Amino acid sequence: MIEVKNVTKQFQNETEIKYKDITFETGKSYMLLGASGCGKSTLLNIIAGIISPTSGSVLIDGVNMQEKSQKQRDKFRIEKIGYIFQDFKLINEMTVLDNINILNLEGINTQDAPRLLEELGIAEKKNSKIKHLSGGQKQRVAIARALVKAPDIVLADEPTGNLNFAIGELVIKKLVKASKNKTLIAVTHDERLSKYFDKVIDMNQMIADKKDIFGAGGGTKC
Amino acid sequence: MLRFALKNMAVKKIQIILVALSIVISAGIGVLAFNVSSQVSDGITSNAGYYSLIIGPSGSKTQLAMNTMYFTDEPLGTIPYSVVSTLSKDGMRVNSVIPFAMADNYNGYGVVGTSPEFLKDKELREGSLFDSSKTLEAVVGYNVAKYNGLKIGDVLHTSHSSTGLDTHEQGIKVVGILKESHSSFDNVVFTQIQTLWQVHTHEGEEGHKTVCAILVNAKNPGYALQLLNEYDGKIVTHDDETFTLQAIEPMDAVRDVLNDADDTKYIVFVLCAVILVMNIMIISIITLLNMYHSSKEISLMRLIGISMKKINLLYIIQNGIIGFVSILLAFGVSRLCLLMMNDYVSSMGVVLNLGLVYPLEIVILVGVFIISILPTAIWTLVMSKRDSIS
Ligand SMILES: Nc1ncnc2c1ncn2[C@@H]1O[C@H](COP(=O)(O)OP(=O)(O)OP(=O)(O)O)[C@@H](O)[C@H]1O
Ligand SMILES: [Mg+2]
Repeated sequence: MIEVKNVTKQFQNETEIKYKDITFETGKSYMLLGASGCGKSTLLNIIAGIISPTSGSVLIDGVNMQEKSQKQRDKFRIEKIGYIFQDFKLINEMTVLDNINILNLEGINTQDAPRLLEELGIAEKKNSKIKHLSGGQKQRVAIARALVKAPDIVLADEPTGNLNFAIGELVIKKLVKASKNKTLIAVTHDERLSKYFDKVIDMNQMIADKKDIFGAGGGTKC
Repeated sequence: MLRFALKNMAVKKIQIILVALSIVISAGIGVLAFNVSSQVSDGITSNAGYYSLIIGPSGSKTQLAMNTMYFTDEPLGTIPYSVVSTLSKDGMRVNSVIPFAMADNYNGYGVVGTSPEFLKDKELREGSLFDSSKTLEAVVGYNVAKYNGLKIGDVLHTSHSSTGLDTHEQGIKVVGILKESHSSFDNVVFTQIQTLWQVHTHEGEEGHKTVCAILVNAKNPGYALQLLNEYDGKIVTHDDETFTLQAIEPMDAVRDVLNDADDTKYIVFVLCAVILVMNIMIISIITLLNMYHSSKEISLMRLIGISMKKINLLYIIQNGIIGFVSILLAFGVSRLCLLMMNDYVSSMGVVLNLGLVYPLEIVILVGVFIISILPTAIWTLVMSKRDSIS
């Protein structure tokens, strides 16, 4: 269970996001919708312990992550969270397999990698360097890296953004299946995919004070 | 971990080659310069204390000493053998008197005429010393035998010129081969002094029993000094010819040379220091540039959740491997240079021993190794202090 409580995030450039409280339950899958720039990635980053909220806290299974050290949050992330980054965060100069096997450095078992790559349809690319892959292929590598550790929490930031609908649908099904009895939070703009999720959350309602992001004029619909 | 370090290195070939090259060059030059200067000055000192007196024709002191002890330079000239006879009779003050003459060469190796006593401390690999009562027998130095394929019983023909033309008719039989001594003795053919006179008789010089120098061991330093004063500047006549003698103390003569060698050593040390400082700068700059380039990669690893500790280790292992391989290469290169220099310096009377590793060489290599990983270590230390991910 992930509880987001009174979380706000202020960046150096004065942009401030205030989130309403929300709880993500274990065993459920969530789809996050929302316009560009409304703070979806920021929320996932806060949950993953990559950035700290300016105020408020994130509790995972009752543990306040803000009370932990960065080291402990890193350890929790690599062991328990499968995070599919919006921009993949793959090391360009390394091969597909190495990008996954690098988790070995922290003792993560990556034996499942070849099978996952097979299922995602990129098995034949496993020894290619990331820089030689297409966007959709990179996306699937990022998914394989996130799922290889059989994480308790899957955070997916637009995991289908670079894929056509058919493959996107397949990927979402796979994510939902992989996070059975676990927690899945996926950001996606594709409403056609909403049927696969237990719950759809409109970030519009998640943001406590829209003016802080979009200024007095209101701006884009979130 | 090691696998990742290696893979990660393969990505940055150019930077790695640059770092490795700068380490190989600086460590290689440092070690080589130190080794050569040490071997040369050690080689020069080792023999110098051996004889109390060298008597020869007047002229350059150093030339006389270097020619007699290291077989370098041309002999100064000749003095009559009668001086040897006179000294030999002076049993009260003199322990041993050894004639020395250098003439001719065998395939470019010097031929020295002397008495067996000259070689009494040298170990033989095969055969025996030549017999002073006979002639036309030779003991050859290790390299002479090795590079000319000489065996006991072979007969060699000496000649006047190093081109091998103009050879003497009378052959000299090899009776002994010296053990390798890593000194100038490795590169010389030794024979009886009489042999030299004999092979030259057809040139009509019969009766001219001459030597180039006389090595004397006095019974005590007092007698040595007496003899020195007696023979230095002495004029002897033989067959209506007059000769002016000079007597020198070998240590004294070699000291001049050594002073030069010490200067060289000093220059070498300064050179090493300069190279080392440059090395530190180059390696630091390249490492920092590397790290700057790697910072994206590092932040990616941090985002996935890999700890700074593991990342540091990864980079230290990488740099350690580069440093280690480079100093091994540097050592190899320095030995290779020694091998190539050997031909050149052996003509100056010093044979470089490729197997000789001075402790300070190891210190230089280890020092360069430490210098090569230091920037990375410091950099990663600074990075790990910064806890947050940005
Ligand atoms: N590191 C940062 N520094 C400054 N501002 C930031 C930073 N990261 C995000 N922001 C701002 O915070 C707001 C939310 O960004 P976020 O990336 O969470 O949006 P998003 O909902 O994921 O958008 P998208 O759908 O385009 O991915 C934006 O206005 C963005 O400009
Ligand atoms: Mg985003």
